[in-house]
Amino acid sequence: MQRESAIREPLILGHKTYKDITDDVVGPIMGPAPLGWKIMITISSIIAIYGIVSILYLLGTGVGVWGLNKTVGWAWDITNFVWWVGIGHAGTLISAVLLLFRQKWRMAINRSAEAMTIFAVIMAAVFPGIHMGRIWLAYYVFPLPNQFGSLWVNFNSPLLWDVFAISTYFSVSLVFWYVGLIPDFATIRDRMVKPLPKKIYGILSFGWSGRAKHWNRFEELSLVLAGIATPLVFSVHSIVSMDFATSVIPGWHTTIFPPYFVSGAVFSGFAMVQTLLLVMRKAYKLESYIHIKHVEYMNIVIIVTGSIVGVAYLTELFISWYSGVEYESYAFINRFSGPYSIAYWTMMTCNVISPQLFWIKKIRRSFIATFILSIVVNIGMWFERYVIIVTSLHRDYLPSSWGEFIPTATDVGIFLGTLGIFLTLFLAFTRFFPVLALNELKTILKSSGESYRNKQVK
Amino acid sequence: MANNKKYWSGLDELDGTEAFKEIQAKEFQEQIPVDQFLADERHSSTTTGRRDFLKFMGFSLTAATLAACETPVIKSIPYTNKPAEITPGVANYYASTYYDGMDYSNVLVKTREGRPIFIKGNTSKGIGAGKVNSRVIGSVMSLYDKARLDGPTQNGISTTWDDIDNAMTAAVSGTGRTVVLSNTIVSPSTLKAIETLGAEHVQYDAISYSALRVAQANAFGVNAVPSYHFSKAEVIVSIAADFLNSWLSSTLYAPDYAVLRGPERGKQSKHFQFESAMTMTGTNADIRTMIKPSEEGKVAAGLLAALKGATVSNLDAGVIKSINAAAKSLNSSKGKSLVVAGSNDLATQTIVAAINQQLGNYGSTLDLERPSMAYRGDDASVSNLVKDMNSGKISTLITYGCNPSYDLPNADAFNTGLAKVKTSVCMNGVADETAIRSTFVAPDHHYLESWNDLSLSSGRIDLVQPTIEPIFNTRAAQESFLNWSSSENSDWYTFLRRQYNASYTSDAMYSDSDWNSAIHDGTMTGNDLPESPEYTAAINTSQAERKVASVKGGSFELVTYVKATAGSGNHAANPILQETPDPVTKVTWDNYVTMSKSDMDSMGLNTYIAQEDLGSVVKVTVNGKSVELPAFMQPGQKPGTIGIALGYGRGSNGENIGQAAFQTGEKGEHLTQASGLPMPIGANAYPLTSTSEGHTIYANYDVSIETTGAEYPLACTQIHNTYMGRESVVKETSFDSYLAEAGKEKGEASWNKAHRLNVHEDTNHDGVIDARDKKTTSAFDLWHSHPVEEVGHRWGMTIDLTTCTGCSACVTACNIENNVSVVGKDEVLRHRDMHWIRIDRYYASDFSLEKGEEEGVGVIDSYGRMEDPSENPQTVHMPMMCQHCNHAPCETVCPVAATTHSNEGLNQMTYNRCIGTRYCANNCPYKVRRFNWFNYKGYKKFEHVNPAHDSLARLILNPDVTVRARGVMEKCSMCVQRIQSGKLDAKKSGTPILDGQIKTACAESCPSNAINFGDLNDNGSEVRTISENNRAYHALEEIGVKPNVYYMTKVRNS
Repeated sequence: MQRESAIREPLILGHKTYKDITDDVVGPIMGPAPLGWKIMITISSIIAIYGIVSILYLLGTGVGVWGLNKTVGWAWDITNFVWWVGIGHAGTLISAVLLLFRQKWRMAINRSAEAMTIFAVIMAAVFPGIHMGRIWLAYYVFPLPNQFGSLWVNFNSPLLWDVFAISTYFSVSLVFWYVGLIPDFATIRDRMVKPLPKKIYGILSFGWSGRAKHWNRFEELSLVLAGIATPLVFSVHSIVSMDFATSVIPGWHTTIFPPYFVSGAVFSGFAMVQTLLLVMRKAYKLESYIHIKHVEYMNIVIIVTGSIVGVAYLTELFISWYSGVEYESYAFINRFSGPYSIAYWTMMTCNVISPQLFWIKKIRRSFIATFILSIVVNIGMWFERYVIIVTSLHRDYLPSSWGEFIPTATDVGIFLGTLGIFLTLFLAFTRFFPVLALNELKTILKSSGESYRNKQVK
Repeated sequence: MANNKKYWSGLDELDGTEAFKEIQAKEFQEQIPVDQFLADERHSSTTTGRRDFLKFMGFSLTAATLAACETPVIKSIPYTNKPAEITPGVANYYASTYYDGMDYSNVLVKTREGRPIFIKGNTSKGIGAGKVNSRVIGSVMSLYDKARLDGPTQNGISTTWDDIDNAMTAAVSGTGRTVVLSNTIVSPSTLKAIETLGAEHVQYDAISYSALRVAQANAFGVNAVPSYHFSKAEVIVSIAADFLNSWLSSTLYAPDYAVLRGPERGKQSKHFQFESAMTMTGTNADIRTMIKPSEEGKVAAGLLAALKGATVSNLDAGVIKSINAAAKSLNSSKGKSLVVAGSNDLATQTIVAAINQQLGNYGSTLDLERPSMAYRGDDASVSNLVKDMNSGKISTLITYGCNPSYDLPNADAFNTGLAKVKTSVCMNGVADETAIRSTFVAPDHHYLESWNDLSLSSGRIDLVQPTIEPIFNTRAAQESFLNWSSSENSDWYTFLRRQYNASYTSDAMYSDSDWNSAIHDGTMTGNDLPESPEYTAAINTSQAERKVASVKGGSFELVTYVKATAGSGNHAANPILQETPDPVTKVTWDNYVTMSKSDMDSMGLNTYIAQEDLGSVVKVTVNGKSVELPAFMQPGQKPGTIGIALGYGRGSNGENIGQAAFQTGEKGEHLTQASGLPMPIGANAYPLTSTSEGHTIYANYDVSIETTGAEYPLACTQIHNTYMGRESVVKETSFDSYLAEAGKEKGEASWNKAHRLNVHEDTNHDGVIDARDKKTTSAFDLWHSHPVEEVGHRWGMTIDLTTCTGCSACVTACNIENNVSVVGKDEVLRHRDMHWIRIDRYYASDFSLEKGEEEGVGVIDSYGRMEDPSENPQTVHMPMMCQHCNHAPCETVCPVAATTHSNEGLNQMTYNRCIGTRYCANNCPYKVRRFNWFNYKGYKKFEHVNPAHDSLARLILNPDVTVRARGVMEKCSMCVQRIQSGKLDAKKSGTPILDGQIKTACAESCPSNAINFGDLNDNGSEVRTISENNRAYHALEEIGVKPNVYYMTKVRNS
């Protein structure tokens, strides 16, 4: 058995036994739905339905129901896309990269972080779909054999790379998440009394029997998947950033984008994990498993990635001046002093200044402060994408074409709608799925559990 | 006989053998093994099981469903007998002539399958250069207006031609006075047809030039508007004459003006403009001076004085300086200069006549030997007519080719008089302001449906021929005249032919070869003799000078002007013209008050107009009449003056003049007035004009203006005014600095320096690698050079910024040629105009980064100040369309390869393949790509504006160009359909494509030949030659996209 230094903070608080862990995680699934959950899912479903109606209106009428125009061809659609993809970065990072680095604290958060990833990527995938003028021909982006002669996709286009990157990322994340769920589903199956849920969980657990051979395969597969998923964490957002970096538009045409986007994605992903987890730990009484140490670890990741993002912002500004390129330098001057400067300064405040507050231990170890700052960071990251996309486009090369972008109710409705769908899915997840990787947690109970730790010290 | 015939299949049948009978009785000659098949044991065990049944059901249901999913097929009906001259898919061109009382052009009408779809200039036989303008090009749209009357009406109820003829014959032959009121008729035969009525004939012009005519009559004895020859004028001084756009016969002047503008001949004409509002002509002036309308006469008098060497006073110092400079230039090119004035003030025109006489310009740059036949309207006789109508002296009034209830300055008085006329008949084609107030409407044909002869200048007859059967139950006005006068021959065509061949009969319809060739050319020589004016007669200007000196102006002065699109008001219902941006303000679909920034600031009005920055509505009051319109900040507007366009406010009483004439709202619905009637666009400014010595002055020297607090959206296609010092976008220079370096190689002259980048190699061979080692941008390339260089065709374009006047004829032509969707005001407001070609209009700014550095102004503030144009800015018009980049940024980013490069250098859109990600548009540095945000041809928002919604207006669509679906990207194709047909023609005739044989719609319609199209791989082609000129450059050269469109540095003689 692994041993940990006694002065490390324990990862599982209280006097938990293996049975307690199972009870704590599976209990809520077995019991009736709490009132709070019912209220939450009602609200989120209403928002989701509003969003779906907005999307149907868009699909029925045309992309013109958004506020886009001849100068600004992308705005909220791609902003939302990049934002959601970014959020979807934390889950895989936590489960794959931290697994490879043997970070045990990930075990309390990886399940819900990965679920969030899956749902966020689904939300992200909505936007490239609906932003198309002719979504019914969306299959043209796949290199399918066809009868149109030599017609083939354009491998030069970063949008095509996006198609591959996102779909690969989504499928690997989904498989990884699901593989982790199998032993936990089996636990639920074993405890479930009602026949129908028992049967469903039985199917979901793929006949898991808990044999040593199963555990062996499980561990090996997890490692292999972690190995596959790790490069994807970096590739997806690098490729998304190339949508901009490979173009000729000042403000987009920047080689710094791939690392800048990846760290921004991790930054926003962790913030979103914080937002969701802090609510979940209260609602499902998981204080013993997700406690301030976990939050502190994640806050440290936020400081690091937030600082990288901050450096990237300043580098961009410096290079725009240093390059001496008229258009580039104007693009950045316009960012912070032009008509969309409010968005720029919101971004700067939320993303560069606010995470630095986590240097203060009190703030870093405060649930309330973390919750507020995590929301601030997500607002900031949304504005980052908005600033990159809209302020670069609205004033590019020819001043005759300079324009403006004003969002419509449909722009707002669809964004809110994706938040609603996301929340609905996440709430459903918390209700029917084991929200903690309970079987993994059990592996660290003896090494990092508070009560056992204390025994060791004695 | 026929019944006896019998055919035999063989001898067996003939003989009727048994064997044959046996065979005949059987359906199948050979035994079919049915029993054997059914007896097969295996069949007894086969059943159609439930599963199979469900499979078949499922398959049938799916098949039936899928079959129902097919796109609807719209069947067209082929000709039973093919008309000799119509080959489906091949266009026919007919020479004709456009004249609407204002614009006059010899045109070629393109028809496809019998319907006119495009108008272009008759450049080989036309008068002057045979060019057209936006209004003439757009006129084809009005043919397909469903608001046109289908047959005659009496008091608004449809009636028959017989009834109207009976009533009118009685009325005309009755005892009361019969008057024909018309615009200036330049058709000799029409005048004769009107003469047969034996009625008085009063002519007037919506925009009157009577003072100019009277001034010529007083001075030289010829009561006519002179013919102007701008192509001979090295120095042009225009006092508020918008001669490139609307003044007199501007279609003739614009091409002539361009002739002397190109600097390559070592000289460039010099153009002075004195004006209040910024006109299109003013934007092209080398030296533009702002004056008040009340000062126009004083400027003319000052110029005359300066020419005589006297000192000028009574005006601002800046104006006097310009007058002296103009006088100096004029004196140095006597006989090769031209002074024109837009004012309809007799004193001013008298002085201008004296100036031209003094300079010896009569007989050279303007003449009265062959004067213009247009603009013979007499303001005074119209005033008398209105008086007589009101006093009940007129019993019958026939209005023809004019809309006096709308465009007379005293239209109210006219309308009350009209009610007192016993029988009134209006010949207009739609139920417009005059028509609904007349007893009868006898709708005339559209000009594309009629025969006519026109003579703009004596000695020349231009012919109008029908290009389509009349669509509605209309009748040529002339035929109506002939009917009502009970002439012996009431057939207008016969009447017309007999004017030229007295013995013509319908039997000889096609046998007159002279007539046939005249019809083919659209023109023939007339036999009237030239006038003999006395150019030397002394002109006494002292009285005129006293009069102009006595003109006093108020705190605000108003000028009215004519827009390049709306004209005098007759194009109000034309959606294509309404959506063509005004060349100066870039506003579409609207009328507004142009004001200077300083005046607007002092009144607290909003000077920045954009989607959510609305215009502030002001109330302009003149003599108790007022209009409320939004104010528009116009750089170059003289402070203390305002400008309002004429030709708006049509249909204010709900007249059905066409649905595009009314305002549409956010959902495309017609907005309504408080009274429930549809809301007209803008307001009618004719009542705001004033009168001097019986002549209508299109200005008012004392108006009051007040804020109303209301706001109104203005749909502008360009909301940013300056080019922010971006010299790789616009290159301009003065003529002097051009001349100093005219001999330099391309890329070397200071005014067109090639962009160079530092390299880490010793390019200048001085032994060290330093900042002086540079290479041109063409040395840096990510990509291989495009294979079309020097192989096959490489289509390209050159655009001369020096001669481009911004007139926007190319925009209108492109819209019609390429079926560009009209999207309406709300969509333009959202910056979603669909135009494939636009004209970027940049004003000069007083400020620059360099100036900011000198004055210690920060970069951010400097950029802010560079956004503001100067008070009286120089202007650049830059036509911008797809640059067909050889390294096109749009092509690399399309995920589905829907936009690709052709092997002839074209950047082409494959609409079928496009999924509408808009990435290409975002990545286009020139922002020329247009996205189909909606289904413009079907979505209800566009039903009042988009012609494709209406089964009649849809006929204007060019069948050679796809109507784009919702959700696809589109852009300039360099009229690939024309390239293709040109190539086919060349292939059929077995000759190479000659330079100039293929022309894009924009190049073809450009009055000043600023746009050229051709093959850049053809060594001798004009585009190749121009592209090698040292003024040629690529816009945004340094980003390395290698366009196939070259711009020519603008040279200004200032």
